[in-house]
Amino acid sequence: MTEPHLPLVARWLLRLSSVPREARAEVQADLRELFEARRRDRGAVHAHWRLYHDVGSLWLRSGQIMQTPSPLSVLALFRDVRGDLRYAVRLFARQPGILLLTIVGLSLGLAIATAAFTIMNAAVLRGEGVVDPDRAPGVLKTTDRSTWSVWQYDEFLHLREGSTRMQVEAVFTDGAVVRTTAADVDGPVTPLTFVSGGFFSATGGRVVTGRSLDRADERRADSVPVVVSFVFWTARLNRDPQVIGRTIRVGRASATIVGVADRGFSVPHNALLWMPMPAHPAVYNSGPVQTMDDRPVEVFGRLLPQVSLAEAEAQLSAVAGALPRGATETESKLRVKLDTHGGLGRVSSAMTIAITVFVFAVIGLVLLLACANVATVLISSAITREREMGVRAALGASRWRIVRQLVTESLALGVVAAMIGFVFAYWAMPLIGVMIEAPAGADLAPDLHVYLFLGVVTLVSGVGAGLAPAWHGRGADLVTPLKGEGARQDRLAPGRLRSVLVMTQAAVSVLLIVVAMLFMRATFRAATIDVGFDPAGLYSVSAGLGDSTTDFWTRGFSELQSVPGIAAATLVEVPPFGGGIKLSITRDEPHRVVNLNRTSANYFATIGLRLVAGRTYTRDEVAARAPFALVSQSLARAYWHDQSPVGQMLPPEIPLTPGSARPMIIGVVADAITARLHERNAYAIYEPLDPANEKFGRLLIRVAPGATGVTELASQRLRSIDPQAEVKITSIAASLQQEASRPRMLAMLTGTIGLIAIVLCVIGLYGLTASVVGQRTREMGVRVAMGAEPRDLLRLLMWDSLRPVVIGLSLGAGAALLAGRVVVAAMFFGVSPHDPVAFVAAAVILITAALLAVVVPTRRAAAVDAADVLRWS
Amino acid sequence: MKGERLGEFEEFTLLAVRALGDHTYAVPIQQYVEKVTARPISIGSIYAALTRLEEKGFVRSTMSEAVAQRGGKSKRVYIVTPSGLRTARDLHRVRERIWNAITEGGRS
Repeated sequence: MTEPHLPLVARWLLRLSSVPREARAEVQADLRELFEARRRDRGAVHAHWRLYHDVGSLWLRSGQIMQTPSPLSVLALFRDVRGDLRYAVRLFARQPGILLLTIVGLSLGLAIATAAFTIMNAAVLRGEGVVDPDRAPGVLKTTDRSTWSVWQYDEFLHLREGSTRMQVEAVFTDGAVVRTTAADVDGPVTPLTFVSGGFFSATGGRVVTGRSLDRADERRADSVPVVVSFVFWTARLNRDPQVIGRTIRVGRASATIVGVADRGFSVPHNALLWMPMPAHPAVYNSGPVQTMDDRPVEVFGRLLPQVSLAEAEAQLSAVAGALPRGATETESKLRVKLDTHGGLGRVSSAMTIAITVFVFAVIGLVLLLACANVATVLISSAITREREMGVRAALGASRWRIVRQLVTESLALGVVAAMIGFVFAYWAMPLIGVMIEAPAGADLAPDLHVYLFLGVVTLVSGVGAGLAPAWHGRGADLVTPLKGEGARQDRLAPGRLRSVLVMTQAAVSVLLIVVAMLFMRATFRAATIDVGFDPAGLYSVSAGLGDSTTDFWTRGFSELQSVPGIAAATLVEVPPFGGGIKLSITRDEPHRVVNLNRTSANYFATIGLRLVAGRTYTRDEVAARAPFALVSQSLARAYWHDQSPVGQMLPPEIPLTPGSARPMIIGVVADAITARLHERNAYAIYEPLDPANEKFGRLLIRVAPGATGVTELASQRLRSIDPQAEVKITSIAASLQQEASRPRMLAMLTGTIGLIAIVLCVIGLYGLTASVVGQRTREMGVRVAMGAEPRDLLRLLMWDSLRPVVIGLSLGAGAALLAGRVVVAAMFFGVSPHDPVAFVAAAVILITAALLAVVVPTRRAAAVDAADVLRWS
Repeated sequence: MKGERLGEFEEFTLLAVRALGDHTYAVPIQQYVEKVTARPISIGSIYAALTRLEEKGFVRSTMSEAVAQRGGKSKRVYIVTPSGLRTARDLHRVRERIWNAITEGGRS
C-alpha cells in the first residue's frame, strides 16, 4: 500500500506514550488523518506543529485515553461475563460429548475431594470442641520406668482434692443399650461417657439448650441426669424441641435429659452421652454398695489462669507422691506428667499430620487429574478455536478479554461440576462413613468449612483449568490462523503442554492403581494370615447388663455344661479381635507393644493355643490369684533369646499395674494374633483373670464341628439366669472377616479412583493423539509420497503419542514407591510396598489402555492417501 | 453523583457527537470542536473527554467496519445515549432559565 506514514519521531513518541497497545493503531490512524488534513489546509509546518502538540497531549493525559469502559466497573463486567457465559453455553452445546465427559470427570474429582475433606474435617480439623486445648492437658501417671494414661478412681479423688494449680477432672467410657422410646426394643450398644462434675467447665463444653453437668450432679442420688450430644439429638431424638426433661433408658437406669451439647462438642472419642460418674452403678444396676475405687479413669485438667504447665505439674506430682498406695518397693515414686497432646483420647499430633498429609495428597491427586483433563479438553478446543481467537483479537479484543472468556468457560464447567459433585458427596457420605468405620458419634454432615473448601477448590480448579489454555495461547500468532490451517507445525508449545498434562494423568493413574493393587494383594494376604488359632466355631458371649450379678458367669458355666455341642468354654477379659489392653515398652528399641490379656485356666485349650514350654495356670491358681504369667513365643524369644523363660520373673521394662507383685513366667504358648489383624502383633502376656473381675469378662465358647443351634440354645439358657441380661453372641470368625475386609474396602476405594483415573487419562490421550495426528496430516502425506510405508508412519506416530505415557508411568511408579513406604505400610498386612506384581499389573493396564487410545486415530492417519493430501493443500 | 455532571469541554464534545450525526469518530469531532470554539484543541483532550463521557454513560462506542481511506483499519465510532441527550438538554434549559432571568433583570 502506498499509505503515507506519520513522521517517524511522532510514531516513536506515540509508542512510548501510555496509550494502550490495543488503541495505538487507531490513534495513529486518527493522527495521520488530522495531519493530512492540516497539511492540505495550512501547510506542512502547521501540520507538524499540531501533530507534536497532539502527541504531547496524549502523553499528558496518560491513563484516560481510549480505554474500554474500566474493567472495574462491576456492571460492565457483569454484562461481559453474561455474554461470555452465553457464548460458552452455545459452544458447549455444539460438543455435548466432550462437555459431558469433562463435567463427569470434574464432578467425580470434586466429589471425592469433598468427601475426603469432610472426613478429615470431622476426624482431625474440627477437633472435639475443647476450648483452648493447650490449657487442658492430660494428666499422666509416671514412674521412672513407665507411663500410664489411666488412674484409679480413688487416686483421682485425691488428686482433685490436693490440686491447687489446676482444675482436675476425670472421665471413663462404657457402653450400654440406650432406648429413647418404649418401643425401642433392641439397639446397638451405645458408648457412654461418665464424667466428673467439672467436666464441662474444664473442657469449655457448652449446651444448645438446657444445662450441662456440674459438681452438684455427683451428689444427686435420686435421679440420673444425662447430657446428649448434638449428633445423638439429631439422629436418635429427631431434634425434639421439648427434649429437656425427657426420660430415656440408659442400660437399667431411667436417665433424664438435662441438656443438648453444642454441635461440634464430642469429647472424648465422639462421645454421644455424658453422665456423672456416680450414675455408673445405676446404669449397670450393681447397687450402691459397689465401690468405684478401682475403676480406671482418664484424668485431665484445666490450668488455672496465670499458672504454667511446669508449675501445675510440680504441684500435682507432690500430691501424687503422697498417694496412700501409689508407691511400692519395686516402683519409684509416682509423679505426674502433663501432656497437652495426650489426655481425652486426643489423636497424637504426629498421627494427625500423617492423616492430613495422606488425605490432602489424595485430594490433590484427584483434583490434579480432573483439572488436567479439563485443561486437555479446553486446550484441544482452544487449538481448534485458534481461528476464532485470532478473529477476536483482530476485532480489538485484548488478551485479558480472551483469557476471561476461557476462564469463564472453565469456571462455568467447574460450578456445574461442583454442584453435581456436592450432591454426589452428600449422598455417598453415609456410605463412606460405613466404609471407613466412622464412630456413631462422628458428625459427617457438611459444615461451613466444607462449603468453603468446595468453593475454593472449585475456584482454583476452574481458574487453573482455564488458565492452562490461556497460557498456551500466550504470544500467539494471531494472523496465521486467520489465513487457514496447517501453517503451524513450527510451534511445538501446545503439544508439549498437553504432553505434560497427559504425563501427569498417566503418573497419577499409575500411582493410584499400584496402591489399589497393593491393597488388593493385602486383602488376599489378610485372608490367609495364620492367626495362630482356629476361629471357626469360636464364639464370644457378652452378657450386657448381666455382669452386675457377680455370680452370673459361675451359674452360666453350669447352665452351659448341659448344652450339647459346646466343646469348651472359658472366661477372658478381652475376646479375640476385641481390641485389648496394650502395654507400651518405651525403653526398648525398637519400641514394642505387648498385648496383655487376663484369662481363666482353660482359655488356651478353648481357643487352641499350643503350649510350647512349661505349663498353663490351673483353675485353683486362678481362683487364688497366683502371680503367674504365660508369654508368647515371640516375646520369649525377644527377651530370653535361646533360653527358657520358665521360672523367670517378667522383666521390669514391661509395665504392669503398680503395686502388684511381678508375676513369674510358668509357660510359653504359641504365637497368636488376637488384638488387631493388621498389627500382626504376636507379643503377648497372659495372666489369670481375677475372680472379682469376672463380671467384666466375656465368655468364649467353642462349638463342636457339625453342631447346630448351639448359640441359640446357649443364649436362651443364659437369659434364663437373668431375664434382663442382654446376651449377645458374636462369631470370632466373623470378627476376623471384618478385620480382614478393611484392606478390601481401601482396595475398592483406591481401585475405583484408579479406574476413573485411567478412563480420564485415556480420554485425554485420545484427544491429544487425534489432534496432533490431524495437524500432521500433511507431513504424513509428504512422507508417504517420499516412499514411507504405512507401518513406518504407524510406528512414528505411536511412539510420539506414547512417549508422555511412558514417562508418566515411570514418574507414577516412583511416587507409588514413596507413598507405599511412607503412609500405608501399616495397612498392607505384610505385602511389601515394592511388590513387583502390583507394579507390573499397573503398567500393563495403563499401557494397554493407552495403546487402545492411540491406535484408532493413528491408524486413520497412517492410512492417508498422499495424493489426496497434497492435492488438497 | 459524578455521572450526572457534565463539564464544559465534555458538553462541547457530546454536542459535537450529536451534531455530526451518529457513528462519528474522534477526528471529525476534534475538527468540529476546534471550528466552533475557534481555539486549538488537542486530539488527546478529545479522547479523554470521550472516555469520560463513555464512563458516565452519555455516549456509547463500537468498533466500526474497516474503511479503505484509513488503510483498512477499523475505528471507534460514537453515538450519544438517551441519557447523554437528556443531560445536555437539562443543562441547556438551566442556562436558558438563567439567561432569561438576566434579561428580565436588565429590563427592570
